Amino acid sequence: MPDVPKMKKPDAKLVLLGDMNVGKTSLLHRYMERKFKDTISTVGGAFFLKQWGPHNISIWDTAGREQFHGLGSMYCRGAAAVILTYDVTNWQSLAELEERFLSLTDTANHDCIYALVGNKADLTDPKAHLCQDSDVLSEDRTDCEEARTEPQVLSACPTPPASPASLSGMLLHKQVAREDAVALYGRILRYKGLDEKGSLPADRMCFETSAKTGYNVDALFETLFDLVLPSILRKRHENQASPTVDLEDCREASGKRGKSSCC
Amino acid sequence: MEVDHHKDTEGQAEETSDPPTESNPPADTLATSLCLLGNHMFPDQVATNACSSVNRSEPATLQPSDASVEDSGLDEGPPPNPGTDSRTQDSECQTNLAAHPAERVTEDAAINNAQSDSGEFVVTMLAKAKLEEQGIGVKGRSSPLLETGIQESPSFTSHRDEDVTADSWRRHRKHVFVLSEAGKPIYSRYGSEEALSSTMGVMMALVSFVQSGDNIIRSVYSEENTVVFLQKGPLVLVCVSSSRQSEQQLREELLYVYYQIISMLTQASISRIFEHKKNYDLRRLLAGSEKILDGLLNLVDSDPSFLLAAVHCLPLAASLRDSLSQILQKAITPNLVFSILIAKNQLLTIVQEKTVIEDARLAPADVHLLLNLIGASSAFQAGEIWTPICLPLFNPDCYFYAYISYLDPPDCTVCLLLLSTDKEAFYSVAECKRKIEEAMLAQNSLSLIAKAQSYSVSQVGVSDLRHFMYKPFDVPDNYRQLTQFTSPEMEAPYSSEEEKMRLLDLYRYMHSRIHSTSRPLKLIYHVAERETLLAWVTSKFELYTCFSPLVTKTCAITAITKLLRWIKKEEDRLFIRYPPKYSTTPNPSKSSRSSRSDQQDTTDNGFLSLL
Ligand SMILES: Nc1nc2c(ncn2[C@@H]2O[C@H](COP(=O)(O)OP(=O)(O)OP(=O)(O)O)[C@@H](O)[C@H]2O)c(=O)[nH]1
Ligand SMILES: [Mg+2]
Repeated sequence: MPDVPKMKKPDAKLVLLGDMNVGKTSLLHRYMERKFKDTISTVGGAFFLKQWGPHNISIWDTAGREQFHGLGSMYCRGAAAVILTYDVTNWQSLAELEERFLSLTDTANHDCIYALVGNKADLTDPKAHLCQDSDVLSEDRTDCEEARTEPQVLSACPTPPASPASLSGMLLHKQVAREDAVALYGRILRYKGLDEKGSLPADRMCFETSAKTGYNVDALFETLFDLVLPSILRKRHENQASPTVDLEDCREASGKRGKSSCC
Repeated sequence: MEVDHHKDTEGQAEETSDPPTESNPPADTLATSLCLLGNHMFPDQVATNACSSVNRSEPATLQPSDASVEDSGLDEGPPPNPGTDSRTQDSECQTNLAAHPAERVTEDAAINNAQSDSGEFVVTMLAKAKLEEQGIGVKGRSSPLLETGIQESPSFTSHRDEDVTADSWRRHRKHVFVLSEAGKPIYSRYGSEEALSSTMGVMMALVSFVQSGDNIIRSVYSEENTVVFLQKGPLVLVCVSSSRQSEQQLREELLYVYYQIISMLTQASISRIFEHKKNYDLRRLLAGSEKILDGLLNLVDSDPSFLLAAVHCLPLAASLRDSLSQILQKAITPNLVFSILIAKNQLLTIVQEKTVIEDARLAPADVHLLLNLIGASSAFQAGEIWTPICLPLFNPDCYFYAYISYLDPPDCTVCLLLLSTDKEAFYSVAECKRKIEEAMLAQNSLSLIAKAQSYSVSQVGVSDLRHFMYKPFDVPDNYRQLTQFTSPEMEAPYSSEEEKMRLLDLYRYMHSRIHSTSRPLKLIYHVAERETLLAWVTSKFELYTCFSPLVTKTCAITAITKLLRWIKKEEDRLFIRYPPKYSTTPNPSKSSRSSRSDQQDTTDNGFLSLL
């Protein structure tokens, strides 16, 4: 009889959901490797481990293709946070979240946190477009600055060949307004049977990001990591994590991340 | 044939489109053949013409200049070598030429005319064929495609955006189209499916029309292109190739495309989908997989593994390979069925579950699909991938779950692939990887693997031998093992991409002669312009060799004797010889090959509910 698996389960699980081509892999890649590069449509799901302080957070980057639809609920099982991703230039991608992906989260934890993320903001929003360096935006985290690698300059990023408009640097029509996302967030809470007052406010949980320029990407992931900490801590009472420790760990984690440039 | 014959207008095309008979020169372009189909869409006609898959399929020679030289050595006796089955076909080339005098003429004409012909291509002509079929004459160059324009979705990249009306599009060496029986486009190698939908519709019209006459359309020939059709279940695959490959080879390639689609969706679900809804748009499910299919087709063109239907493994000291196998053998978990280690896109070792595949082995094609999948999913290499995949030759109807992870980030050259039958097994399979990683660290395996590399032909020590491909057949030692082949690096003069391709084309030509359905050969000595090739198949092996020019047949045979001796000596290093097995499945029936969908149900992916 083979050995019983010994791998310690990660402390919390975060899942990226959303239609194909909205930029889930790009977002994660931007966050983990500080890069934006051409991607291949994900097959199945890809598992990543992120050290966040003393905690291991597992991140599942799932495939948005219909082909893999049925696997979604498996990837979501026991999730502490779900990032529902859409493309701000594509209304359908927001609609798909409600039609196709929301039900997959039925297997997530009952206290699961939901974030709504409108990616590719660089295509519609000058602020996100001009953001050449994700670190500039996370000014509240300047303590992490020096440990990071040189910021990626925009021109060093391959332009996504997919969107003709981005080639010319023109701004595209924004198909999904922030209010639409906020409204969807409300519907998600209702779907989950959650009370709007007792839940995290839409304001905090609706993001607009750009994997290409890095706009808001760190803020997204790190907000979520911080938000799932309480549930991790609740789960292991024996752990003596305190807020001060967490701050230090944050620095550590960021430093580590800076070095890991690969492939 | 008119040398300056220009086929841009319907009238001229029609002039040459008399129904071909045995003695007639072939329709001079695919276009005319197809016009012909369009004109004479009556079962009898089409049955005789379109289904002509006889000797036409074999180009008289690959390069006209070879022709007279090629047969020079063929009337000599068989080589004084082991392998009693070896038999030389006498003057087979002369027969070939004699049998088709018309072809020679045609080909010469074609050469003079090559420039003006190159623009002639299937799309315009297919489109014309369609209009003709509807009784509408075509004036000038316009085709429905011009009006259709390209409406590619912004998510398609590079050649998906190609202008399908441009010459450059037509000039691609090998087009591949996949369509549903209802004529709905599913995939096109170049250009977007939308832009090509009318073309595909015409192709489908051809196929179904011929079918209605109880015939199956197999291929259409012109001097420029070979069009091969393959119907598999509700899918129709079409290849339009100017590569001079045989129909058989092209059909094999289409089969790989089909298998790759099956590996993503399973055969059972594809049939179910189309039973349910005949004109379902399969692109919904395949969207995003285009790059996987593109990648496969590029590999098919550039990697002889596909031609030989055999797997190429990285040469490795037998002791190292054994120790790697043992590491894999020890890291197991229930329902794990295959553990595969890959470096530089070549196999290092493969360990399999005992009961699951007691009487079966992994088919090379399944391994090729796995390798292609790995290549296509390597975009973000730090993660661990968990994805369903079907191995169509093993069982076309069920899914395995593949765990894919690189062992040497950030280099990402050594890849571990673990296949389980249990969808939920990710964490326990990932744990196997940790064990494997630990053991490999302890044995310093990674740095040893890093040193492993393919070999140079100079190591064989046979002068004038430039390259070879050797594929042993089932011999007692590797019986029930994966079919493998060995081959040195392609070195000068075959270092440039073009030269590599040229050599591969020569091999493909030799291969098509060896495996010709009408007249298979055992031995071919072929004097080409810049090299001499010898291909030889016996009951024990299949061998393709490439020598410098002017090597005589006797010399070549002597060299081959030496080569075979060298391979025998190096066997343990060149091939995976005794792959171990493990036992992880307490209940063998659960995952056995024939079990259809008890636990790995095809509905696992749930997309059927989306219909
Ligand atoms: N302009 C712009 N393009 C982006 C951005 N993020 C992703 N892209 C592009 O969008 C395409 C899809 O990105 P992916 O990250 O592969 O999308 P995905 O959601 O992972 O898709 P699946 O894996 O198929 O589900 C790629 O061509 C990216 O280059 C962004 O922030 N801005
Ligand atoms: Mg992805």
